[in-house]
Amino acid sequence: MVAIPRMGTPEADALIKAHKECTDSMKGVAGFSVLKCEVPGDTTTVSGGVHEDPVLRRVLLRMRGASPKGKLVVICTKVDAEWRIGRLSGVRGVPPVFVNDKVYTDEQEIQHDIFVMRLQELPEEDLTAAQFNEGWKRRSDNWPAT
Amino acid sequence: MCAMRLTGYADKFGVHPGDKIKFFVNCDGPSEYTAEVVQMINGDTNPRGPGFIEKSIKADVNRTYKGRKQVIHSGSYGFVQDCKQLRVESFTLQCWIWPTTPKTHPQYWKHGSQGLVSKWSDNKGYGLFINEDGALELRINEHRISTGQTIRDHAWHFVAATFDAATGDVVLYHEPQIVYALDPVIEPVKKKIKAKIQHSNIPAAIAAYVEKLDNGALARSSKPAGVVLGGKYNGKIDSPRICNRALNRTEIELMKLGAQPGLTERRNSGPTDALSEAIVAAWDFSDGISTRTAKDAGPYRLDAEIVNCPTRALTGYNWSGQNFDWKHAPKEYGAIHFHDDDVDDARWDADIEWTVPAKTKSRFYALKLTTAQGDEDYIPFWVVPKIGEEQSKIAVMVPTISYMAYANEHLACNAGGAELFVYRVPIMQQQNMFVSEHREYGGSIYDTHTDGSGICLSSRLRPILSMRPKYDHFLAQAPWQYPADLHLIYWLETMGYEYDVITDEDVTYEGLARLENYNVIITGSHPEHNTGTQLDALHNYTQRGGRLMYMGADAWYWVHTFHPAYDDQGRGVMTEMRRCESGIRTWRADPGEYYHQSNGELGGMWRFRGRYLHSVAGVGMSSEGFDISSYFTRTKDSLDPRVSWAFKGIDYDEKLGNFGLVGGGAAGLELDIVDTMLGSPPHTLAVATSAGRHTEAYLLVTEDFGFNQQGLDGTVHPRVRGDIAFHETPNGGGCFSFSSIAFCGSLPWNNCKNNISTLVKNVLDRFSKDGPLPAAPAGSVKYRGRADYEYASLDN
Repeated sequence: MVAIPRMGTPEADALIKAHKECTDSMKGVAGFSVLKCEVPGDTTTVSGGVHEDPVLRRVLLRMRGASPKGKLVVICTKVDAEWRIGRLSGVRGVPPVFVNDKVYTDEQEIQHDIFVMRLQELPEEDLTAAQFNEGWKRRSDNWPAT
Repeated sequence: MCAMRLTGYADKFGVHPGDKIKFFVNCDGPSEYTAEVVQMINGDTNPRGPGFIEKSIKADVNRTYKGRKQVIHSGSYGFVQDCKQLRVESFTLQCWIWPTTPKTHPQYWKHGSQGLVSKWSDNKGYGLFINEDGALELRINEHRISTGQTIRDHAWHFVAATFDAATGDVVLYHEPQIVYALDPVIEPVKKKIKAKIQHSNIPAAIAAYVEKLDNGALARSSKPAGVVLGGKYNGKIDSPRICNRALNRTEIELMKLGAQPGLTERRNSGPTDALSEAIVAAWDFSDGISTRTAKDAGPYRLDAEIVNCPTRALTGYNWSGQNFDWKHAPKEYGAIHFHDDDVDDARWDADIEWTVPAKTKSRFYALKLTTAQGDEDYIPFWVVPKIGEEQSKIAVMVPTISYMAYANEHLACNAGGAELFVYRVPIMQQQNMFVSEHREYGGSIYDTHTDGSGICLSSRLRPILSMRPKYDHFLAQAPWQYPADLHLIYWLETMGYEYDVITDEDVTYEGLARLENYNVIITGSHPEHNTGTQLDALHNYTQRGGRLMYMGADAWYWVHTFHPAYDDQGRGVMTEMRRCESGIRTWRADPGEYYHQSNGELGGMWRFRGRYLHSVAGVGMSSEGFDISSYFTRTKDSLDPRVSWAFKGIDYDEKLGNFGLVGGGAAGLELDIVDTMLGSPPHTLAVATSAGRHTEAYLLVTEDFGFNQQGLDGTVHPRVRGDIAFHETPNGGGCFSFSSIAFCGSLPWNNCKNNISTLVKNVLDRFSKDGPLPAAPAGSVKYRGRADYEYASLDN
């Protein structure tokens, strides 16, 4: 399984830079992808990002497939105006909680900050024999498949 | 965070002018709220669009109301009112169980014991339970006798308990149907207690127990009113029995047979002469699967009323795997799967009743609720003209069944895979936050229940918080379903069209009569969920010269049936859908569980019932992706004189819809294509396509391949595209399909001055004219193949 580069390494810096460029180019789009709009806010022509950076693509797949327990999520606190970062409980009926007080006024920037937080939080390795636990033996909604 | 203190629903989706509609409101906190009828024009708050638009409507119900809290008592169960026969001195309780959450997380929303068969409350009475530790437990008054052994989840067990009042002997049996090599032997637990069962005026319950009797206002929405049930069980129960004496193990085995009304030599209810005298109740859940009743085959006919619509038509402990349709082997379908988050009806008290004035225009409306403290909610409804009293030549067919299917979905919060298919971090709105905590509002047909089993039933008699304006769906990061369909409404209003609105529900019940007085029917952006009679009506309509404008994608996909047990509460109250062998499935039905409980129809995709999606409007779903949208390009088909009129004012090389309020383009989210092998008429013209420009987030639908492999995404696969298509139907009819859920999001762009708007206007103007469409040029009438279309495959 792909390793998540550690913060402070050139590999991580490169991922952060690429992700940020894509994020900034997506401002104004009613949607989001880690791809770079040729014209900011316009998806007519997109390139780069996950289409051209295999490491970025793999790292994002691993992040996105993580269990809902403790997973970071965006919470809109004012319609089309304010957003905050939350964390899922992984327990049904227990709502997400805010992770900090930071309020975003752009719904794309928060995507980038969550990417950086995940680089910091997620283990470099996962799903190796060393991480094996009883949960591997059963299907669950917490696995990255529907 | 639960910001929503105002929630509500109406007793119907569509209301005729002159008829009444009731509104049910929960106002949790504020002392009063204001209600106002508004016409909905645009529900999208995106600053790059026209912004939120509503129009105030003068109505005699527009005023301030006293607020009151109303709650939903979710969780399914059965109950039988108290009666002499249930007030036993000694007893045997027995049933088969397949528990799904015998043990729950301490933070789980309904953590605690679960009732199986009980007539117990407040340390009085008797009942069989699964206790907080996940073990079988018998309760007799304050006494609790447990096996101490956690029951295996998702496995059948036979459980029973006997109590002999004369001796005080108690025996508790927990017998797994499957015993694995290293399972410990679970011996019957035998105890002696000194007890006389204290009876009280409470119902007997299946899959729950009576938590309390309550005369308060909040208990009125429980059923029976004033009786609050707790300990809602998650899992299947099959063949529950109550006998009025302590049976020995052999008798218990015989009693598994239950009452035997089919025996011709019978002189009693069976299963033996002696045991027939012991039966209090012997429920047979296989009888009346399409009802709200659990039939008692025993002598007292203690039928249980089933509340909150658990899932039936499910395999029982004795399913043999030989029959897959419950109608053919009903005795193998004696299980009901109860869930603690099932909800069939919020059962709130009505707060507002509005008689819609006779001259009211057919439009999208909502009851807008606000408080002085800033709370807000909208309860959408539609004014639908009576048949014969149509107000215009254009009708918008509102996909209400699809709204029900998506009602209160929890995917952003619960599904591990959600972020992989939206390809970004999901964004939760206040509605998502509310339902993530208030599971009693029920989930969508996309969700799994709190126990992980698929949700296949959805009621409209509850607040549907995903069917709201100002709501961006996590799938789209933009409006989806109801608010997305308002993009179309905004466009119709801005362009000055007169139009009626009708609903899926209306077409389901009224058939062709609901459609045939219109020149053109316009769909919503994502009419994915449909009944068979609705599809029949659409086919018959286009056959007779009707015109259909299919404004989105992924339509005509899933088989839906309305549950007849709720007909007494109105039309289309409860819809059912099962995710069977193929299709885009967020959960999958188990083997033998493909047939609907509501009417026995085979569920799943219409495609696998032989009704290809592409046969309805000429295109069918081929791919989906949720990150960003793209645009369409005209093909040479668009130059054909059969259809070139649609592109008047649009240059051949123009990028069609490289703008929009959903994903940034007209081609996005879910996409349909022409496929003459899957039902597109062979003369279909694919006039524009988005081929070759979707991201890797877009993937081919699973029903289109049989082997998972690389190369299925939008950057490489030729079927990951949308095709705008046109074909003529007999008698001057026609279908124009725009083949993208994001399509309508481009209509409002630049105040509706754009090429998508031009294209749709050209089509609508032509389709809405009286009389048949102009005949196709004579040269276009020729016999065409399906696989060998234009003989291209032979040439290659």
